Amino acid sequence: MTVTLYDVAYWLSSHLVALATGTSASNLPGGPWTTAAVALAWLVTGIIVFAASLVNTLILIWWERKLLGRFMDRRGAMHVGFAGLLQNLADGLKLFRKQVFSPREADQFGYYLAPTAYMVTSIILLGFLPVSTGFVGGSVPLSLLLALAIFSFAPLFIFVGSWSSNNKYSLIGGMRTAAQLVAYEIPLLLAVVSVVLLTGSFDLTTIVMDQARYGWFWLPLILGLVVFSVAMLAEMERIPFDLPEAEAELVEGWSTEYGGMLFAMTMLGDYVRGLVGSYLIVLLFLGGWTLPGPLAPLAAFPLGGIVWFQIKTYLVFGVFIWVRAALPRVRTDQLLQVGWKRMLPLSLANIVIAAALVVWGWPHLTWPAL
Amino acid sequence: MSEMWVNMGPQHPMTHGLWNLRVKIDGEVIVDADPEMGFLHRGIEKICEYRRYNEVVTLMDRTCYVAGLSWEHVYLMAVEQALGVSVPARAEYIRVMSHELQRLASHIMWYAAFVQDIGLMTPFLYGMRDRDLILDLLQSYTGARMTYEYMRVGGVRNDVPVGFTDRCRKVMDWLEEKIHDYEALCDRSDIFLKRTVGLGILKAKECLDLGVTGPMLRAAGVPRDLRRDHPYSAYPELDFVIPTHDGADVYGRYRVRMEEMRQSIAIVRQTLEWLDHHPGRVLAEKVPRFVGTPTPPPGRESYILRRGYPKGRGFAAIEEPHGEALAYVINEGAEHPYRVKFRSPVMVNIAAAKDYLVGYRVSDIPPIMGSVDICVGESDR
Repeated sequence: MTVTLYDVAYWLSSHLVALATGTSASNLPGGPWTTAAVALAWLVTGIIVFAASLVNTLILIWWERKLLGRFMDRRGAMHVGFAGLLQNLADGLKLFRKQVFSPREADQFGYYLAPTAYMVTSIILLGFLPVSTGFVGGSVPLSLLLALAIFSFAPLFIFVGSWSSNNKYSLIGGMRTAAQLVAYEIPLLLAVVSVVLLTGSFDLTTIVMDQARYGWFWLPLILGLVVFSVAMLAEMERIPFDLPEAEAELVEGWSTEYGGMLFAMTMLGDYVRGLVGSYLIVLLFLGGWTLPGPLAPLAAFPLGGIVWFQIKTYLVFGVFIWVRAALPRVRTDQLLQVGWKRMLPLSLANIVIAAALVVWGWPHLTWPAL
Repeated sequence: MSEMWVNMGPQHPMTHGLWNLRVKIDGEVIVDADPEMGFLHRGIEKICEYRRYNEVVTLMDRTCYVAGLSWEHVYLMAVEQALGVSVPARAEYIRVMSHELQRLASHIMWYAAFVQDIGLMTPFLYGMRDRDLILDLLQSYTGARMTYEYMRVGGVRNDVPVGFTDRCRKVMDWLEEKIHDYEALCDRSDIFLKRTVGLGILKAKECLDLGVTGPMLRAAGVPRDLRRDHPYSAYPELDFVIPTHDGADVYGRYRVRMEEMRQSIAIVRQTLEWLDHHPGRVLAEKVPRFVGTPTPPPGRESYILRRGYPKGRGFAAIEEPHGEALAYVINEGAEHPYRVKFRSPVMVNIAAAKDYLVGYRVSDIPPIMGSVDICVGESDR
């Protein structure tokens, strides 16, 4: 029997209720007390997901700083906490203490809405991405579709923020974001379509389980993996596609006018999206929390799946960091060219491959009688 | 979208200093450009008139933070001509070596900043790491890393320390290896080539018409280098080539600077070899002493004293890392120069901005302006 996130939460909440009522957790009095325990369990689930996401994001930023530092022949953060692990917390605290302000000419509502909504929509994503069997905040049958739908909210809020900042640099950055994210949304979704073709499901848990059974999808859908990763780089606005905040020409792009905690929120949103992007790559193409063949029992330990999932995620994100250390930034027109002229045909070719596999009886390939 | 003026500066990551590039953009395309300089004007030429000849050297370090020794050199060449001082050969060689080390440091600094403008952060730290070795070398014999105050009228302040030449050779070997790394990071990157080839074109004729000099001119295919065309100091005895490129674009300027770094390493090695075998004085024995009133009364006219230096005028031109730097010194016999005039190559190169910016995109501004190698302290003085 596998332990699920809800089980953990219910264990906690039932013990709390048992403490309150003076009974044992296995023998709660019925009626409102059980209802309270269940409600509390959901609340605890949410808090666990939220806290785990934030901690994970902080570690992700730490991982980026350290790895990027090594690529650049330096050490990255060193002084706060062990090997600089608490540096991001310190930075966050510093930003938190700063005054929250807005430019006088800015549109107040849009200015404050944008980073808040950007961060919130990013964190919501982590609520229904499974990190292991049963370890998911809310199980949604169409979780993949929902994740991508919420993922594509971001350009809207970025554009609102850039426009309401009333700054030319912000505006240019915001328009670039809109153009870029729309251009890369399509290959991204088309790459996902190939996975959906192979599994016949939008449920991420099913997709991972299918991979555990029939082999990870990166091998048959290698084109899809490449397209998805490149498109995801663009969606995350990371080098070489970080044009919306190309600091050399646009100062800080769409977030130029944001300071203090508002800036921290945009950065947090960026990294949560980075985390979600890496999660999705692992879930869709690299077998999620499972391990292949003879190694599979290793993932069967309690919480073993979560560990492997995180390791894979960090390795995937490590590749993105590597890309950041090795590549310069492309230009807007070149970016759009790559998106429309290269990514789109590649993703279509990938769909054709997936469709052909399905026609030939994936996962047990047989030649159909013609 | 209609056309609009955007101020890139004075506080902007692209500017690398305090200046303002006003660009008129139509969507992403640049239709007009108007560089505004002068935010960092400190009146160095005027201050020079109130300093003794050797004291001006301090100001020269402040003209350009990456090429202090080059500016010391050009100023002192003009002063020595104005005062009629000859410099010992060993001092000339040390000056040339310092100048070339400075050129290396400047070009590495340029490379670091330029590539970071395109979005590649790794070379920035590689560049800083390697530039530090040069700064360590300079520190070992000048005592400072940025404001050296090392050269004097009639030579240099002190000789290089024992064991310096071997240490310097090691650094040169290391750098030669690392320049390969720099090139590997850029030349083999398609994105880098896409961001640099064919951008910011300024053809040879336009360069000559506008007075653009230095790597920008050589990248346009004109092999003009004062070190060879109007040799000074110890350059006539040294062996080096003038790298050029036919592209006249950002990439060409990058290639030219990379090759120049190799040539600088070659020159430094030759000077080290010479220094090893030619011990001697580094400061002229007979520097004319000022014999007038040591502290002049206020008021500029009274500076021209009865029994000062023999009157004279001096003009010097050197190939600074950024281009051709000229200095003109008028000596009216006082202990202070009567007038000092500098010509900064950076000023001219930036002033031509409209000619190489119009028609390109906003995203191209950082690489194009970066390829100019801007040092605002020097252009505004």
